[in-house]
Amino acid sequence: MTSKKELRLAYALAIILFVVGVLSYAIAAFSAKTPDSPMRLMFKGVAGKVLFDHKTHTQDAGYGIACGQCHHHPEEDEAALRACGDCHSFTEKEDAFPEACADCHESDEIEDSKITKRVDAFHSQCINCHKENEAGPEKCASCHVM
Amino acid sequence: MTTAEAMMSNHNKFIVSHAPFWHDGSSITERSYHIMIAALPAVLFGIVQYGLPAIAVVAFSVSCAIFWELAMNFVTKRSLTIGDGNAALIGLLFAMLVPATLPWWAVLTGTFVAVIIGKQIFGGIGSNAFNPVVLAIAILMVSWKDLFDFDEALLNYDLEFTMLYPIAALKHFGPESIESFTAGDLLLGKQIGGIGATFGLGIILGGIYLIIRGFIRWEICLTFLLGVFAAAFIFNIYDGSRFAGPVFHILTGYTLIGAFFLATEDSSSPVNLIPMLVYGAGAGVLTVLIRNIGAHVDGVIYAILVMNLVNPLLDKIRPKAIGKVG
Repeated sequence: MTSKKELRLAYALAIILFVVGVLSYAIAAFSAKTPDSPMRLMFKGVAGKVLFDHKTHTQDAGYGIACGQCHHHPEEDEAALRACGDCHSFTEKEDAFPEACADCHESDEIEDSKITKRVDAFHSQCINCHKENEAGPEKCASCHVM
Repeated sequence: MTTAEAMMSNHNKFIVSHAPFWHDGSSITERSYHIMIAALPAVLFGIVQYGLPAIAVVAFSVSCAIFWELAMNFVTKRSLTIGDGNAALIGLLFAMLVPATLPWWAVLTGTFVAVIIGKQIFGGIGSNAFNPVVLAIAILMVSWKDLFDFDEALLNYDLEFTMLYPIAALKHFGPESIESFTAGDLLLGKQIGGIGATFGLGIILGGIYLIIRGFIRWEICLTFLLGVFAAAFIFNIYDGSRFAGPVFHILTGYTLIGAFFLATEDSSSPVNLIPMLVYGAGAGVLTVLIRNIGAHVDGVIYAILVMNLVNPLLDKIRPKAIGKVG
């Protein structure tokens, strides 16, 4: 048996914390935005997850790789600084062009819509760079986590 | 005829002495709130580290746990038990184990599993076979594995230390990957993880307070930690290139919160001395076995569940009853 005082405390806790919880969730949801330059990215696929430390790769204190080294576009402009998956989509059909192209281009402007699939793009980008610099993980399991 | 003679003639076998009695003032309510207070340093540390999302999870979790218990009280038409603080405690401990970005529906589901399936279905406080919080975490981990991938959950946080969940890094990439973590840093909470599970020093201080006040048993905490230490030490000596040292295992994952706040739950842990020692050490050793050669990143949750399961059996090791029951 619990006393009325204890019961009141429990009710007060439940109600106050409910309000605080719901408000905090709401505020956090509205104010949350993915940072312009991501900290870390988690790539997911059939071969498990790959955690990519974007910040360490890009910052001068880290490896200082220029944006354009990875984020490319036929013309070097702001359009290149999109998320990799926008263009290298992994569900992309053979002849259809990625939706992201249509943000700036009319469909008749787009000539070559054959874009490397996401997995291949990442593999060539990561592996080639690691090899060139003789740094970074080499084995599959050093990046992929099942 | 005296009262005693009257009772004897009625064949009553249990005779109590005369009133007045003096209650020492301890109660379940006091116990619950003291455990919550002891957990506060670790919780506040998590809130400072993760900000508003952590407040959201902690507050919502405690309130949901109380509401689930209240709902069950009404459904089963029993007296209201939320006043004893146990539901609030369950909510708080649940929040301490999860990442700060846990979605609201997972908190709602998790507290439902803890309070209703973990505790109320068994008959309420004291009747639960498993630690309700541990059971809820286990079920959530199996149902939504990605929610407990701390590396993924905390992707957008950038704190002043290596942003890798240490125990997961060890599991996936071996001891080389955890070289940047020093014991001092881990103890001071410079690691990612559950909201209230990473600040080792805070958890230890809270645990010591609870031991001194007699709310939890030192026998279980100590043997749990010794079990983890001994098992990890043996693995480490056997092959240091594959298995991390004992100090790392004690300061990462759910080890400390498991030792002081989870394994010590009343109804799912033994009451006699030897069973307590076996229970604690068993859970500790199992934790390391699961971490080092099992499939899961952390072993604390499943180790405690397994020991909860054998708890009734362990409590059979007890002093022989004096006399004979006719």
